[in-house]
Order: sequence, then structure tokens, then C-alpha cells
Amino acid sequence: MNTGSIAMPRRLAPLPPERAPAISNTRLAMIVLIAGESMLFAGLIGMYLVFRLSAKAWPPVDQPRLPLIVTTLNTVVLLASLVPLTRAFRAHTGAARARQVGLTALLGATFVLVQGVEWLRLVQHGLTLGSSTYGATFYMLIGCHALHVLTGALWVAVTAVLARGDAFAERHPAALEMCGIYWYFVCGLWGVLFPLVYLY
Amino acid sequence: MRSAILAGGALLSGPATALAQSCAMCGSSFSPDDPATRAFTWSIIFLLLVPYTIFGLAAGFVFWSFRRASDRPRATIIPMAWRRRPIAPADGPEEA
Repeated sequence: MNTGSIAMPRRLAPLPPERAPAISNTRLAMIVLIAGESMLFAGLIGMYLVFRLSAKAWPPVDQPRLPLIVTTLNTVVLLASLVPLTRAFRAHTGAARARQVGLTALLGATFVLVQGVEWLRLVQHGLTLGSSTYGATFYMLIGCHALHVLTGALWVAVTAVLARGDAFAERHPAALEMCGIYWYFVCGLWGVLFPLVYLY
Repeated sequence: MRSAILAGGALLSGPATALAQSCAMCGSSFSPDDPATRAFTWSIIFLLLVPYTIFGLAAGFVFWSFRRASDRPRATIIPMAWRRRPIAPADGPEEA
């Protein structure tokens, strides 16, 4: 019946089926996170620019030089980690996805390890946080990025373990997508920091 | 529209060298030959541009995502009153 009185209210039309939003909540959350992280690094880069451009000699004469060749190779390793990650998005099986994500985690861990070894050598040669503004700005900027890479590598490693059990089937790709977006950001950020700190 | 363009042109066509190019603190903190002046200039310009760049990229991505969504709700476009064609009176017998 369709009378519409107080005793018998009119039946409402059924709600239309829910549409998927144009931007998923996952992507929106990652956009906000990356915007905030970008502002953090913008502040650090601004700080670096002030000291770099106001110095008469950079790097200072009494400070050790940065390991350019090793860091260049390390950069290739980090950027190469994007290839298996991209393949993981297109993988059809959980095992293939886990393999690609695991390879990404391995390359990321290699980058962090090599950076750590190079830092130890720099400290032994006298470049420390307190040795000069050169050391302070270097460790602040690159250290902040290294912290992000370490966090990202751990995240990717956990994702690789979860991907083995087919947890990221096509209908639930949000977690893999979040991890991937963060890793893309970290690698893209290194593409800005490496020329700025090591080459300029 | 024309007045906005003229106003913008008048603002941009001011003297190239202004009498004051910084606040009192920055202007008095550095000597003319101090490299810190250039350093602060570039750093401030960089920090001014970054928020707009980030926001523009994010907003552009959101806009692009909504544009390419195939099942996005489409609004019914109703022309404004001055654009609607008057409805011609129906032909019929005149009232007595």
C-alpha cells in the first residue's frame, strides 16, 4: 500500500547502490601524509639552502668529502627497487606478488645498509653532527630521509610477508597500494636530495 | 574583466628597483656584500613556492581523479533564464 498517512506512512524508495568514490580513502590518506612529509623536507631543504649558499667554501676545507661513487651506485639500487614494486601491482598470484615486494624490501634494506656503512666511515674521518654546519646539515637532511627509508623498508617487508597468503587479492589492494605510494615518495625524495646534497 | 586586466598590468609595471625590498630585520641584519642575503632570498623563495606546489599537485590529482571517474554523478544542467528560449504559445482556438 502507498497511502502516506500518519497511521500508515508512505514507503520510501530504496536507496541507490553505493558508488565507489572517485578517490579511495586509502589514496586520500596517503596524499595527506605525503603532503605533510613534503613540507617537513621542504623546511629541511630550506635550512640546507641557507647554510649552503651563505658559506664561502662548501664543503669546508677541513671536512671530509662525501662518497660520491658509492652513493651513486646506492642511488641506482634504490631506484631499481621501484621496478619490482610496480610489477607487484600487476602480479596475478599471491606468490608472485610476495616475490616482487620481497625484492623491493631487499633492495631498500641494501640501500639503508650501504648508507649506514658510509656514515660510519664519514664519522671515522671526522664528519659528525657537531663538527661543522656542513656535518650538521648533512646528517639532519640525509638522516631524516634515511629514517623514512628504514621505516618504508620495514613496511615493505611486512607487506611482502602478508602478500604470501594472498592477503592482497585484487579486491583488497588498499594495503599494498598504501605501501607502494609511500615507497614511491621515498624514492622520489631521494631523487631530489641526492643532487642537492651530493652533486651541488 | 578589462578593469581587472588593467589593474594587474598597473601593478606589474611598477619600478623594477623598489626602495624597500625587505623587512627592517632582514634589511639591517646583512651587509650588502654578505652572501647570507642571497642564501636567505633563495631559501625564502623556495619555502614560499613549495606549499602552493604541493597543494596544487594534490588538488590537481583529486580533480583529475574525479574527471576520469566513469560513474560520477552528473548534474542536470538548466540554462539560465536569459538563455532559455521562450516557449511558443500553442496554436489553438482563441478564447472567446
